[in-house]
Amino acid sequence: MSSRALWRRALGLAVVALLALPAVAAAAEVFDPSLEFKLEPYVSIELGPLDLSINKAVVYLILSSLICIGVGLFVVRGGLRMRPTGAQNVVELAYEFTERQIARPTLTDRVYARYFPYVATLFLFIAVNNIISFVPLPMGYERGTFPFGIRDFGLYAATANINVTLTLTIVTFALTQIEGVKAHGPLGYLKTFIPNAPGFIKPLIFVIEVLSQLLRLVSLSVRLFANLLAGHLLVIMAAGFMVLLGNFAGLLAIPVGVFFWVFEWLLIAGLQAFIFAMLSGIYIGYAVQESH
Amino acid sequence: MEGNIENAAKALSLGLATAFGAIGPGIGVGYLMGKTVEAVGRQPELRGELTSLMFLGLALTEAIVFYALLMGFVAFFIA
Repeated sequence: MSSRALWRRALGLAVVALLALPAVAAAAEVFDPSLEFKLEPYVSIELGPLDLSINKAVVYLILSSLICIGVGLFVVRGGLRMRPTGAQNVVELAYEFTERQIARPTLTDRVYARYFPYVATLFLFIAVNNIISFVPLPMGYERGTFPFGIRDFGLYAATANINVTLTLTIVTFALTQIEGVKAHGPLGYLKTFIPNAPGFIKPLIFVIEVLSQLLRLVSLSVRLFANLLAGHLLVIMAAGFMVLLGNFAGLLAIPVGVFFWVFEWLLIAGLQAFIFAMLSGIYIGYAVQESH
Repeated sequence: MEGNIENAAKALSLGLATAFGAIGPGIGVGYLMGKTVEAVGRQPELRGELTSLMFLGLALTEAIVFYALLMGFVAFFIA
């Protein structure tokens, strides 16, 4: 086996070992995977009633923002070349993907120029957040396995927090309504909720349309939040079962955990980001379209 | 006795929420995949487009499972 493949295997083994460590550390106490999602402030910043403390979610958000900004600065602005390097290939791939698959089919012509950056940013930011969430970082709940007070390695996603996803959803919702009112005028926008139906059904369908618009707030945020939360809980519970179930059954939990981890990391992380960005584009494009 | 009933109710609610919540989307995802395969069989040149649409529908349908799972988690951890 080449040395590269050997390094990759060693890395994979290290990841599996690190994932199993939290369960080992918590074996002496109660196994409660919800503790991984408890946010304790690392640096407490309280301005009166506002709690701006830096906790685990804030650190993850800062990390993903730094990655996105770093890619933008050092790859795109740093100098795009005619013969692309590896990083530039990835960035070009991302750009082509967001343009062809997300922005072009969903945004209409009048809003395309303004909202393509928004939709692409949504996709990249959420994708980076989801992808780094499956890398074990030393911000777990327990302490004591490592020296110098470094916490255990654990998995956490900033987007597994309803606050983050709800914020992104509220931005999308606000932009949808603003663009709709700008395109049709306030009364005209309300008129687009009224369908071509027999007169007596019109008020009912109008109410249903308004309710479904409001329900978009719930569905868009909860879809991303619950997908990430459930994925993480599955992996953490599989890691816990490795220790809790004892000898043979615990060994059976290892491929289950690995399967969930790989499935989530490769498929669900990017897919949920794609879905969020695409639905945002669809909502904005639908709000400004002329026909009905 | 009362503590036991509370834990039993919580466990039961989580299990039932997940079980019932997975029925509908299971049928839906199977139907979606079948229709996609059928459409690709009719027009194989549209495979890329249809795959993209399939992933969109897949994520929207899978989300319904998570609404039910979320309510189960609420019942288990919060209520």
